[in-house]
Amino acid sequence: MSREISARPRRRLGKAILVSLPFLLLSTMMLMGASAGSQGNTLFLVPFLVTFAFINVLFFMMMYTGKTDRYRAVFFITMAVGFVITFIANLLEVRGSMALSAANMVRGETPFCHMVIPMTLIPAALTRTIIFPGRILGGFADVATMFTLWIGASLALGRGFCSWGCFFGGLEDGFSRIRRKPVLRRIAEKWTYLPYAVLIVVVALAALSLSPTYCEWLCPFKTVTEFAAVTSFKVAVQTAMFVSLFIGLVVVLPVMTKKRTQCGLFCPMGAFQSLTNKVNAFEVRIDREKCNDCMRCVGVCPTYSIDKASVSKGVTRISCTKCGKCVDECPSGAVSYHVKGTPVTGRTGGARMLFLYPGFIFLAVFGSGMIQGALYRLLLLLTTGSMIK
Amino acid sequence: MRKLKSFVGYTWALTALPLVLATFIGLNTWAKSLADITGVKISPWHSGGEVARVIRHDGFKTAINEPVFRGLIGERKRGFVQVKWTPDEGRRLPAMVDDSIDLDADGTTDFRVRLDTKTNEAQLDPYNPAVVGLIQVFDLGNERAIRVRLLNPHRGDTRQ
Repeated sequence: MSREISARPRRRLGKAILVSLPFLLLSTMMLMGASAGSQGNTLFLVPFLVTFAFINVLFFMMMYTGKTDRYRAVFFITMAVGFVITFIANLLEVRGSMALSAANMVRGETPFCHMVIPMTLIPAALTRTIIFPGRILGGFADVATMFTLWIGASLALGRGFCSWGCFFGGLEDGFSRIRRKPVLRRIAEKWTYLPYAVLIVVVALAALSLSPTYCEWLCPFKTVTEFAAVTSFKVAVQTAMFVSLFIGLVVVLPVMTKKRTQCGLFCPMGAFQSLTNKVNAFEVRIDREKCNDCMRCVGVCPTYSIDKASVSKGVTRISCTKCGKCVDECPSGAVSYHVKGTPVTGRTGGARMLFLYPGFIFLAVFGSGMIQGALYRLLLLLTTGSMIK
Repeated sequence: MRKLKSFVGYTWALTALPLVLATFIGLNTWAKSLADITGVKISPWHSGGEVARVIRHDGFKTAINEPVFRGLIGERKRGFVQVKWTPDEGRRLPAMVDDSIDLDADGTTDFRVRLDTKTNEAQLDPYNPAVVGLIQVFDLGNERAIRVRLLNPHRGDTRQ
């Protein structure tokens, strides 16, 4: 009996090492390729090695413990913080300010981000132009590169992109984990449809005005990235709006509700990304035979993607970001990753593995540069007293 | 049927990893292909439009862009034209740029602009009723650009 108990963790350790080895090889290949230009510089080498170890330890822990969200969130939050540090430091270095001048926009120096994508589609189809003051190719975060990344992520992960790729989502995810228990427990279900309304309005307004209205007026993340220099009353109003939305939706409400409120109740890109769940092989399902209707999954879902009705049907809502929190928290093991077209009952480890490999590789490759960049800036701060050169 | 659905499902799921790897490995190639295939450009409302003509002066040149009126469908009643002054290699723009702009190269000046390159203040004298006024001056380092509000001559009355 005692031999059997001691053999089980050892077998689990061996299995975890075995399934982590291909990831180690893939991450080595992908990360070495991405940092090929910076080899030989100690200030780059240390962040690279730390990030590489960080990624692989987290993936190994996912395999060893069977928990997904716990380790995904560590990387996701670190990536978001790393992105903010790297982005702001770069702006200060190159431009001297987080504020974007009219001249920067005329020169096409605005980095394109995935949040703009839904607004660009109608004008692109009708006028063959992108309504954004960036560059189609070349420079930092050009339009074509961001579109390519988004297409790849959408086909592979669906709305999983929002929990395995979006470099903004980690900020809310971090704030939503500060309190042990939520202060605000109930939000009327109708609010979960707000992102779709926001999507329709901003897409229509962007098409009519031929300008990215969400970016100009609403995007909360401009607070921690870049924003138009305040040169008029209109820009002052825009600034007040996006800063208020950042404080409300990204900081205060996530702390109070333990939910990703901007993602679940406001983000038009998230609403748009939900549609890509339809062209993706993975979903989260609830095995009705195992489910004891405790509704824990409803309580923990950070994006309001599970409700009582969906539990009774054994599915998640279309807005599911596949973060894995409900899978981790389900006391009866009824919630699991699932491959569409396959039986819901039975062993679920294979489906989880099939999702985690592309999911975590995407997160690791996309986010490693941001984490390395932030570590580099911190090292620069320690060695030179300044984060910018 | 169930087996077939499972087979298709797993095959579909198995493509996710190669898809992610291919996305990153061929990122620059895919991005270039995407740009080439779609042929999209940055909207002229943001880029200022295509350069229509370049006029050489002593020590600098004037680039006059195509007027921008393009709407989602058809053309808008109001638009703008962007004009940019670039100094020759190793030189600077004169302290005061005084330029007469002929938008459509018909031999008639449409507006005259006097731009103080030190203060970035500009004075615009319209000679064509379609020219409404100055929108903004852009300090682009060594270069300066302006945008001038225009009425679309192909849509409606251009009298002010």
